[in-house]
Amino acid sequence: MHEGSITIRLPADVREIERLNRLVRQFGELHEIPTRALYAVNLALDEVVTNVVLYGFETSAGQVVAVRVETAGDDLHSEVVDGGREFNPLTVPVPDLTVALEERALGGLGIQLVRSLMDRVEYRRDGAKNVLTMRKRIR
Amino acid sequence: MQIKEDKQDDVMVVTVTEHLDSATASVFESRLLGLVDRGERRIVVDCGLLDYVNSAGLKVFLLAAKRLEPLGGKLVLCALAPSVLMIFEMIGFTRIMKITASREDALRVLRGDGAAA
Repeated sequence: MHEGSITIRLPADVREIERLNRLVRQFGELHEIPTRALYAVNLALDEVVTNVVLYGFETSAGQVVAVRVETAGDDLHSEVVDGGREFNPLTVPVPDLTVALEERALGGLGIQLVRSLMDRVEYRRDGAKNVLTMRKRIR
Repeated sequence: MQIKEDKQDDVMVVTVTEHLDSATASVFESRLLGLVDRGERRIVVDCGLLDYVNSAGLKVFLLAAKRLEPLGGKLVLCALAPSVLMIFEMIGFTRIMKITASREDALRVLRGDGAAA
């Protein structure tokens, strides 16, 4: 894996997620990030950014979400910054994965995936911005 | 994403390909739930050509399985790529949904299942 970073500024529009996924995958291939780790980071960023775009803003026109991915030793660091309403996704209750089909909740799947895919997820409110940082160990 | 339907006797086989994500999940949802509404009770989703699924797509499988169960029906998924299967395991769906290695296995499971109407 080669050292490097990418910063992507996306209009807050769900149709931009595909572009985000493509850019993250290109970055990963260029920097020879192992496939499983790249898949995990791609999916986690998709979940976080989709959630921000769909629910983060009163009106999403003109709003931007900033995504940064950086290789750091044996870690992949990712960061999502948005100026939407204050929201800590880590406060979403963990769905009970052990219950029967009829009792399984439809909500909370995205953030649960993020928690499972990443080794560390942290949220902070920085002024008027939400900052979510994620780490994935490569080995 | 592309969706194909192929009725084999009393089993509806649905093939979904490429990316099942926030941009495509609603189309897949209306197709799959539309089949249940039209009376299909034994449904196989062949995921052999599906290479990416996010929570919006996962939710469609959960919705369909939940809707079929009280109707005496069954959803079976087959041929998941390792990366997609990993996501199903991670979110606990391998506990609550029937997943088989091949389409033939999926058809066998549904045909040997006398519970469906």
